[in-house]
Formats: sequence, C-alpha cells, structure tokens
Amino acid sequence: MSARQRIAKALGAATVGALALGLTACGGGDSGGDDGLTTVGFVAVGPEGAWREANETNIQDTFTEDAGYELKYAPATNLDQKSQIDAFTSFVDEGVDVILLSATEATGWEDSLKRAQEAEIPVILLDRGIEPDDTDLYVTRIAPDNIEVSTAVADWAVAAFPEGANYFVLEGPAGVSVVNERNEGFDAVAGAQASLVKVGAQTANWSTEEAKSVVETVLKSNDNDLQFIFAQNDEMGLGAVQAVQEAGLVPGTDVKIATIDGTRNALESLAAGELSFVAEYNPLFGETALEVVEKVLDGEDVESSIVVPSATFDSPEAAETALPDRKF
Amino acid sequence: MSANAHGPAEALKGLVRRQYFWGIVAIALLLLVNLVKDPGYLAVTIGSSGNLVGNVIDILRAAAPIVLIAVGMCLVVATGGIDLSVGSVMVVAGAVSMEFLSGAPDTLGSGLAAVGLVIAVSAALGAVNGVLVSVVGLQPFISTLVIMLAGRGLAKVITGGQNTAATNESFRWIANGHVLGLPVVFLLALLLAVAMGILVRRSALGLMLEAIGMDAKAARLAGVNRRALLLTVYVLAGVLAGLAGVFATASVMTVDVSRTGYQLELDAILAVVIGGTSLAGGKFNITGAVVGAILIATLDKTVVFLGVSSSATPAFKAVVIVVLCLLQSERVRRAFRQRRAAAARPAEREAVAA
Repeated sequence: MSARQRIAKALGAATVGALALGLTACGGGDSGGDDGLTTVGFVAVGPEGAWREANETNIQDTFTEDAGYELKYAPATNLDQKSQIDAFTSFVDEGVDVILLSATEATGWEDSLKRAQEAEIPVILLDRGIEPDDTDLYVTRIAPDNIEVSTAVADWAVAAFPEGANYFVLEGPAGVSVVNERNEGFDAVAGAQASLVKVGAQTANWSTEEAKSVVETVLKSNDNDLQFIFAQNDEMGLGAVQAVQEAGLVPGTDVKIATIDGTRNALESLAAGELSFVAEYNPLFGETALEVVEKVLDGEDVESSIVVPSATFDSPEAAETALPDRKF
Repeated sequence: MSANAHGPAEALKGLVRRQYFWGIVAIALLLLVNLVKDPGYLAVTIGSSGNLVGNVIDILRAAAPIVLIAVGMCLVVATGGIDLSVGSVMVVAGAVSMEFLSGAPDTLGSGLAAVGLVIAVSAALGAVNGVLVSVVGLQPFISTLVIMLAGRGLAKVITGGQNTAATNESFRWIANGHVLGLPVVFLLALLLAVAMGILVRRSALGLMLEAIGMDAKAARLAGVNRRALLLTVYVLAGVLAGLAGVFATASVMTVDVSRTGYQLELDAILAVVIGGTSLAGGKFNITGAVVGAILIATLDKTVVFLGVSSSATPAFKAVVIVVLCLLQSERVRRAFRQRRAAAARPAEREAVAA
C-alpha cells in the first residue's frame, strides 16, 4: 500500500467519522430505531434571524423523545444548498422514518427528492417551497401564507380608513418571492379600493435605518399628506415610526403604520400605540408538523399544502395580551 | 481649497479643473431635477423645535456616515491600498454600542462610554488590517476582505444573532440632535473631515502617504517610515468607520446585524473615485471625497423623492454614475470639445476651453 493510498484511506475514515459524529451529536447519541423512537431527519436553514430561530427551536422542542421521536437536526452551513443536499442524502442512506425540509433555495431538489421516494421515506416541506412545485415528490408543505397575511393587512386598512387614505409601501428587496407575494395579497384588496391612494412604494431592504430614511423623504415629498404606511416587515415599520415622529407627526394618530411578522419588538410598539396593526407570520407550527407526521406514518392521506393559521393584532390591548408569552 | 491670490476668476478656473467639480455639477443637476418635480424642494424652514427642516438638511444628515468612511477610504487609497472592511467595522461598532447601552443606564456617561468603546474596538479592527498589510505584507484587498467577512460574523456573535435596540438619549442625540439648527451628525462629520484634511495637508503626512502609493520602495529609500504610516492609516480608517457605525445605529437606536453598513464600502470607494482620488494610489483629495459622499446621499434621496420604483433604483443610480464618470474622463471631454470646436469655429474656442 503506497503512502498516498494510506493517506487517502485515513482521510476517508476521518471524513466518515466526522459525518457520523455530526449527525449523532444532535440526536443525543442514541443509536435510533431500536428503542421504539421514530427518527426524523430535519434538513434546516440554520441561523438566519429571529423568525427562523423561533421556527426551528419550536420544531426541535416538539419532536422530543418524550413524544416518541428522535430528531436529527442538520442546519445548513452559511445558507448553502449543497450542505443541505449532503445532509438530505445521508438521511436517506441512513433510512430515517421521515424527512423535514426547509430548503434554502427553491430549485434543484428533484434528484434528492426522487431518491427519498425510492427509499420510501416521506418528505414534508416546512415553510419554504420548491421549484418547480411537483407535488408528487413530497407529501405536503406546511407554511404560513404570505398572500393571506398581507390580505389581512389590506382588509384592516380598508376598514380603518372608511374615508380613504394616501398610503405608501415599504418593500423588502426587489424580486424576492416573499415581497412579491406580500404585494400580491395586499394589492388585490387595497388596489380595488378607489379611496385608498397609493402614493408610492420603495424598498428599504428589511432595514430599520433605511426605512427611516425613506419615510423621512416620502413625508416631505407628499407634504406630510400620508395617512397609512404598510411595512412588509417589523423592522421597517419600526423605522417608519421614528421618521413619522421626527416629522412632528404622531404615529398611530396622524399616520397609521401596519407591519407583517409579529416579533416581540413590534408588539411592544403596538402596545405603546405607535404601530396600528401587526399581522403575524406564524413561525410556530411544530404541533401541526407533529400531527402531519403522525398521520403520514399511519398511512393516512394529507393535503398537499397546509396553511399555518396566523394571528393579527389590531389594538394595544391585543398586543399586551400576547406579549407575555411571545416566543420571538 | 483652490482659492488663492489671483482673484475669484482664477479660483473658479481652478475649481473647474478639479475632478470633483463634476461631482458638484451632478449634485446641482440632481437637486434641479427634484426642484422641477416640486418647486418647494430646496425650501428650508424652521421646525417646531427651532431646528432647520428640509430635504437638503436630510441629505446632509444621510451623507454624514458616508463622509466619514469616504475620508478614511481616501487615505487608505492614497497609499495604494483599499479598505473593504469599513461596512463591517460599522456593524461591529453598532453591535458593540447597542449591546453595551442596552445594559447601561440612560446617562450621558454611558453614551460617552459607548463611543469610547466603539473607538477602541474599531481601532483594534483597523490595527488588524494595518498589521496584516504593513507587517505581514498581505495584499490590502485580501486582508481587509478577511475583516469584512469576519466583522459581520463578529457582530452576530456580539448580539447573539439578534437585532439589538437600546435607549440612551445622549447617544441618540449624536444622530438626531441639532446644534445651531443644523444636524449634529453632519457638523461632526465635517469637523472630522476638515481636521483630517488639515492634518494631512498642512504637514508632510499627505505627501508621505502619496509617496507610499506611488512607489513604496522609493518612499522607503527616501526615509519614509512605511510600516508605521500604513498602520496609522488603517487604524484611522477603522476609527472613522466605527464612528460612521455610531452615526448609522444612533439614528434608529437599533443595530441590524445583517444590514447596518451593508455594502457601504462600495459607496465609500465610489465617493473617493468621484472625488478624483486615483485607485492606483499616489494621489488623493479629501474635499473630493466629501463631495462624492454628499453626491451619493443626494442620489439616494432623489431616488426616493422622485418615487423611482425599487426594481429600477439600481439601474437609475448606475446611469447617473456612469454619466458622471464619462464627464470626468479627460478623453471623453476632449472628444466633446473637438466636436464642438469643429462645429463652431475658432471664435467660440476660448469660451469652451474655460
């Protein structure tokens, strides 16, 4: 055996060892399967922000050993799809009972999903969908519905401004699917209402600081004649609040601001009367996922798309009630 | 800067010959476009609290952080280097100050302590860049790229991956307060830029930096202490970026670990180039960098004021900048001059040349 072969072999063994360690470390070191636990492989997104953290912690807290599950958590390295595909493939090879997948990227999953299908491992998509959306390749997708959430904001706006209003939209980065869906749902209702006049829309890249700067200028270019701001996430809404205050107006009275996400900071601001409406994009669907997994393992049929119900908060009181056990 | 003993006409001629002159022209044009959309655009009124209020004031406030990072970048570029880490240093500065203030009492003391902490941390990050470049001898592009990538990670570690908010009136005042009706941030940025300008141009420091940028070996043979100067320049750029981070986060009292300072290194480089500093090193102009920074802020604000749609914003900015760079290019200007001269005969040549 030449030196090169030996090195290659040693490296190979080390890689396998590292992989095995990496996979079992999250599962608590159990060998799995033999002790009556159902093994679930969770191909996750990993650190991305408060919403994602709440979502993945919730999944991990639901699929516990007490509930009869062994969850193998595999977050992507730096949101890299390749690391997700690797984790997915090793779950298939290992023969887990179910795979949960939150894809960092929508495309490029066909081959992996076919492999899982051949191995008769059901795959459930969490939050993120896949493209092209071939429902034969997975069992179901569980996610809150952006269109539904933004429609709720528009419905509220229609009711809150019976005499009409000028409004401005703070968008996320142009071209992102979340932004398109949130626009679609909102425009379908608000656009049909002649009394609601859209004075413009501009991206603030999900950022508080940019939102403040944008709103500051928008207020000036409209001579403060603006009654409603729709911010597509909480951070931008909070920036809008500050810009409105600095223009000498009162947020909540002169200019009403509605946001989507429902993080703790936004609810605190709603409780203080600065924001007027917060539509939640609910990250806590561990329970729903658990029910679906049980059904699937019992061989029952499930819908190919399951919408997670999201709450809305339209008053300081509603926010105060929800705040004490806010998870994100 | 160009005012000298030869009277106003000479001074004007000198100004026209400067590269940043076209930056000033571009600012004027952008303001004019806004003015066409709304005749009251340039109006500055006195607000309820006795402060000046107006779009121009907003532009100055938005320009402040860019002025700081552009001045820092300008000095680094003069030595033939580049500092890609300024945006990341900003977010680290923001993370450090917000994390500190969220646990500190709302007093002037803790506000000052936060600024002190930021200066220390950003100087340390700048020093890492400086040591990698001057002592280890790495390419500035690579060493500052390392800090650019690591910095954002560091900010995430400091805040635990969360966007952190804090309350401190004195810290908030830095970005939102007014002195003599003008925004504090802009006055501070201007003060720092002028101080830097005086420091490097009234001493031999500026010449030495340019000497390093032109030919490092020749500079060393001429007795310029290259190592110490490079280290100083990167530390200065780091501290200025840290203060820019304070400006950016104090404005909303929130640090957004993924967005604060994001890609601002590109704005800084752009401002420096618009101002007539050569990226090849050996030549720099701090006044130009300040003009460039104000131009970028004007451009950002114009896009919003005109209501350019989000998807068209990058294209709009790109067109403005490409046109500006073409105007600055000597070759393009000469081509224009020749065409006009050919069309309008020698009688007009005098006027065109001015």
